[in-house]
Amino acid sequence: MLWSLLLLFALTLLLPLIPYAVAYVNPETGGVPNPGSDLWRTVREANVGTTQVQGVDSGVLISEYGERWRQYRMQQLAPWGAMVLGAMVGIFVVYYLVRGKIRIEAGRSGKRVRRYTTTEMTVHWILASTFVLLALTGLILLYGRWLLIPLLGASGFSVTATVCKLLHNYVGLLFAAIVPIAFFLYLKDSLFNLKVDGRWFMRAGGYFGGEEPSSEKVNAGQKMWYWVAMLGGFVLIASGLFLDFTNLFQQGRDWLMGAHVVHTIASIGVIAFFIVHLYLATIGVEGALESMVGGHVDANWARQHHDLWYRELQAGQDRPEPEEGLAAGGTTHAGGVASPVAKD
Amino acid sequence: MARMKFLCDAERCIECNACVTACKNENEVPWGVNRRRVVTINDGSPGERSMSVACMHCSDAPCAAVCPVDCFYFTDDGVVLHDKDICIGCGYCFYACPFGAPQFPKNEAFGSRGKMDKCTFCAGGPLPDNSPEEYAEYGSNRLAQGKLPLCAEMCATRALLAGDGDTVSDIFRERVTWRGASGFAWGWGVAYNRPGIRRGYAVEDKATGVD
Repeated sequence: MLWSLLLLFALTLLLPLIPYAVAYVNPETGGVPNPGSDLWRTVREANVGTTQVQGVDSGVLISEYGERWRQYRMQQLAPWGAMVLGAMVGIFVVYYLVRGKIRIEAGRSGKRVRRYTTTEMTVHWILASTFVLLALTGLILLYGRWLLIPLLGASGFSVTATVCKLLHNYVGLLFAAIVPIAFFLYLKDSLFNLKVDGRWFMRAGGYFGGEEPSSEKVNAGQKMWYWVAMLGGFVLIASGLFLDFTNLFQQGRDWLMGAHVVHTIASIGVIAFFIVHLYLATIGVEGALESMVGGHVDANWARQHHDLWYRELQAGQDRPEPEEGLAAGGTTHAGGVASPVAKD
Repeated sequence: MARMKFLCDAERCIECNACVTACKNENEVPWGVNRRRVVTINDGSPGERSMSVACMHCSDAPCAAVCPVDCFYFTDDGVVLHDKDICIGCGYCFYACPFGAPQFPKNEAFGSRGKMDKCTFCAGGPLPDNSPEEYAEYGSNRLAQGKLPLCAEMCATRALLAGDGDTVSDIFRERVTWRGASGFAWGWGVAYNRPGIRRGYAVEDKATGVD
């Protein structure tokens, strides 16, 4: 009695599987082709049909990637980008409140050493101004709908967005021209020196306590920024030009969406690093900005932040140039700085 | 309140392109722009089917969602329209649209596209109904005159249906019942099977098959 019930139960479970077994043994019997479903599958897979209308992707009935791109832009790029950039700003606000400005410990010596040539400064500022302009216009186009339409109204923001789009599309070409120049100009100083830069990274540059590790003319963090900005810049240029000149290859939507994804991820990454650079070069470190504004830094600043470079300068008899700062009252410190082996 | 929809019956469309021509003539669309097109799948082979496609006026319109300047709006009939005075011609709506409906008069260097143009369901734009300004920018406003889109009105085989979604799907369901096969309202799942951006456009589908 029990066995027959169990057998019946087992058969009940197994019997519906028989067609599958037959189909597995002999695949030829597997179903009659359905022309209707074949057709709709073709449509859904965005296969290109023929059409009399000339245009980009005009043969595609239903695009495959549009919805995914929409999800990316609205649910990933916009909120996550805002979070990343907001977090970067937040980190530096907290850092500033906790650590404060990194001062020149020995005070200003009044002696200044040349750090950047006029060419280096010019290229830097062209690169900086184009980058900031591109970053701002790009961010406005991404976030303006939420941030600026309530302020300016739809028509007002339309004007802003038009200007931003034009600037972004045209200034991008200037950025594309200046990045390769910057790449070669700063390359020599930005090659990693494993020993020095490795130690710098291990101590996190001394930003979170401890002695500031020694560094060359450009410290490891600045080298990292160079590589992020340059490699990121090349990615941005390549994807940007591809989006900018849609008439070049008559690029279809799928390629443009892909380029947009690459472009936006790279831009959020580079802007995040740019916030680090902006903070440290301006309010973060006393005496840093003047290196790019006048080309000179205070000798004590150089000794504190770029000791190896400073020693090299001294060894090379490249004496600090006395300038008007000296006459203004730096005389008392002059003795200490002028000596070539002032460090340690 | 009607919820306007397009439905193209692929068993009837004969790729005559009359809808394309009618649309272009009625709306005086810019050179190089076609608001509607006919696509043929498996052209020249057994199982060849043609389908007329334009803006489907989606419930949860992706174009409106991604527009950086928020230039799209919805009429009470569920028609998706846009304001050309606000459009900046970025092309994002063209990326996002599943049907490739948004068109641009130009495709030039430095991302210069001109203002986006697309099917308005013959409902004009934000300017005063049937004013010369509205006609110049958006084309005909037949809906305001109590007429349906000309593409569907012109369709010789009645393959292209336009009008209230309930009525359109009733006609289509009757056809499918009679012929006993191929009940497939192509594009309806993509266009209408999502809750709308604005409340009230979550329209349950009455056609026999959707995708």
